Amino acid sequence: MSLISTILRRLVLLVFVVAGVAIITFTISHLIPGDPAQLIAGDKASAQTLAHVRQELGLDKPVTQQFVIYVKQLLSGDLGQSLRTRRPVAGDIALFLPATLELGIAALVMAIMIGVPLGVLSAIYKDGPVDQAARVVSVAGISMPVFWFGLALILLFYVKIPILPGSGRITLGIAAPPRITGFFLVDSLVAGDLKAFWSSLYHLILPAFVLAFANLGIITRQIRGSMLDVLQEDYVRTARANGLSRSAVILRHALPNALIPSVTLLGLAFGDLLYGAVLTETIFAWPGMGSYVVSSIQTLDFPAIMGFTIVASLGYVLINLAVDLTYMVLDPQIRELG
Amino acid sequence: MLLRRLPTFAAFAALTALTFAGPSWATDKDVLVIDKAEDPPTADPGVEVSNNGYTLIFPAYERLVKYDGAKTEVIPELAESWTTAPDNLSWTFKLASGHMFDDGSPVDAAAVKYSFDRVKKLAAGPGDMFPTVKDVVIVDPQTVKFELSAPFAPFLSALATSAGSIINPKAQEHAVNGDDAKAWLAEHTAGSGAFKISAWERNQQITLDPNPHYAGKKPAFKQVIFKIVREMSSRRLQLENGDADLIDQVPVDQAEAMKSSAGVVIESNPSLYVVYLYLNNKKAPFDNPKVRQAISYAADYKGLVDGVMQGQAEQMRGAVPDGMWGHDPQGMQYTYDLEKAKQLLADAGVSNLHISFTYSQADSAWEPVGLALQASLAEIGVTMDMKNVADTTKRELVAKGDYDIATGAWTPDFADPFMFMNIWFDPTKMGAPGNRAFYENPKVTDLITQALATVDQKKREQLYIDAQKITNEDAPYVLLFQKNDIFAMRSSVKGYVYNPMLIQVYNIADMSKSE
Repeated sequence: MSLISTILRRLVLLVFVVAGVAIITFTISHLIPGDPAQLIAGDKASAQTLAHVRQELGLDKPVTQQFVIYVKQLLSGDLGQSLRTRRPVAGDIALFLPATLELGIAALVMAIMIGVPLGVLSAIYKDGPVDQAARVVSVAGISMPVFWFGLALILLFYVKIPILPGSGRITLGIAAPPRITGFFLVDSLVAGDLKAFWSSLYHLILPAFVLAFANLGIITRQIRGSMLDVLQEDYVRTARANGLSRSAVILRHALPNALIPSVTLLGLAFGDLLYGAVLTETIFAWPGMGSYVVSSIQTLDFPAIMGFTIVASLGYVLINLAVDLTYMVLDPQIRELG
Repeated sequence: MLLRRLPTFAAFAALTALTFAGPSWATDKDVLVIDKAEDPPTADPGVEVSNNGYTLIFPAYERLVKYDGAKTEVIPELAESWTTAPDNLSWTFKLASGHMFDDGSPVDAAAVKYSFDRVKKLAAGPGDMFPTVKDVVIVDPQTVKFELSAPFAPFLSALATSAGSIINPKAQEHAVNGDDAKAWLAEHTAGSGAFKISAWERNQQITLDPNPHYAGKKPAFKQVIFKIVREMSSRRLQLENGDADLIDQVPVDQAEAMKSSAGVVIESNPSLYVVYLYLNNKKAPFDNPKVRQAISYAADYKGLVDGVMQGQAEQMRGAVPDGMWGHDPQGMQYTYDLEKAKQLLADAGVSNLHISFTYSQADSAWEPVGLALQASLAEIGVTMDMKNVADTTKRELVAKGDYDIATGAWTPDFADPFMFMNIWFDPTKMGAPGNRAFYENPKVTDLITQALATVDQKKREQLYIDAQKITNEDAPYVLLFQKNDIFAMRSSVKGYVYNPMLIQVYNIADMSKSE
């Protein structure tokens, strides 16, 4: 099957996934007892005010009708208006998603930059001190609660040895760069504002590391495992026998092949990172999707919860598609089977 | 070698430079940094009903009247004087001159009319502050008259709330699709207060700049920054490190722990925030006052105040809290008396009682309160199941009367016993509007209805105290305690004045920093 037809097939599937997610989330959101009108109008609202607010938000209509309206809006690309902030949900997501993505990507890059070399070294020096140390890091990364680890690092690097900021995306008093992508690192470079760039980078270190740490272990173990497998392969032995240097064999022959199974893992890890970001964002006061979602759930802000879920499921499906396509490009065998 | 390492080196150097790049912003004398736990929903006086939103609305807008410093009585702000017609159906206000909106236009009668018409038209929560305002009439540019459809005794007090903020009619230029500028005013301000919102980065920070046309004294701060920091530990570390000057939403245990932090001052003041329990009066066996009294005797008030609240609270004495007029200092208090509770249950002929306790985590005191009550009740043969639900679910269940015992918390919107007596005990307000205990006693109904139509405060006070004597006896609610309002600030912050009506509102126009 060709790449194009795979993509088309998957995109059709995507529509069904999103529709399914929309129906399930909508049903769940509306089954939970709780009156958003009361949250908006306050504890002391009179019966008339409550009725008025309900009507204004369309909450007085039957649930099925509300769903039809929602789907109609959705088809025209409108995610509705947040009950809590009275802002368009699409606008809110466009505002907060880049912050989460920037954090997630930074964490992923960090996890790869540390995890891959560590995995390779672990495989080469199997059971040696490096391998043992890497094992400790892996177990720690998987088992350490993000919440605890984040606070511990803040305590260490913000309070005891104050070299890193404890919260936010940029230093107070430094203006955020003009919004283009929403990624502070990119936007500040585009604007040529180095001060904002360094400040953003500097604010990114701790939260990205906390987020990366949980996935670091998984990546290290995966790379180590596939590296060990690859090192057993005949072509590696052949290359070695042909007199190629050890590092050349590893970097040019073994590593690229060991990386293929890791592509899936990286896709999944990225999904995990975005999910883990909810906690990390709370601890580091990072203005991303995490805190937005938490506030939305607390106030039963249906349109915001729905909007987030739909965008998140879309993202997940697209990441998976990207992973599979990368696979197909890397390994022609899969293309045949696909 | 050096060339290849240059980028790394440069990055390291830059980071180091940034680290030591002068003092943090919070220590600048003319900038105040406040860490808030939540991003305020909106800054629109016409729709906002949360104290979190009031944080922005109060410094940005002026009202006809305002609370007098730390007191709950009102004094003139935009209005220089006022008169009431003998039938109490109209109020005329003379505006003081010299007050200007942040664009330099004067605050006049047309602006007052615009603001109140808007609140009424939006018909959101704030509209309920003025339930009987029929019309606002411009008498002349400096005089405005409110016409009421029925006397509303707390009217003057209600004018001091966020809902009474006077908005620049020019805000209407930002209206889209007939929304009366709701979208714009949600994130911008158009008032005559000391400050205005200059930037709002959602979920991150809000910057206030002084209003150059403010009629009052020039504020000490050239900028006030609210940072949104959800996690309490993070807020605490920021304050202790000096990156924040003031942090809100400090729980009692953290307040206790921070007492020893250098340079940090804990502000703890008696508030009008009360914590109590709803008893479902329309449901057996709570339709029997004896059973309700029994439950009231089963609560360990002292234990809750000393243990759960670490002393940062005071047991209630009637529905109207201490600190507000209408409070009865001689009011009857229930005591922790299991023998009496047992006897009352026997008198009521109730045995093998199995009930539920519906609560959420919205107030950290609710769960320990429930657990303590559960233990006490077990001793007198009552089984109580703890039912922990999401807060919105709890509200819905309580509003529908689908509970036995449920948790409640209440703060008044304006300084008038109306906020407790007429809302809690009026049978026409059963369910969501406030009487969530579904209580009805014709004698009480009569007293509170009279009190609402009476102007003379002394007479009203007596009516409310008489009503409380009956409600204390009837025990539709278990009146637990009123909490202290706690937050923490750097000792360098000066001039803060606490007013129990203004929770999460900081008088930033009069505050300053000493270092």
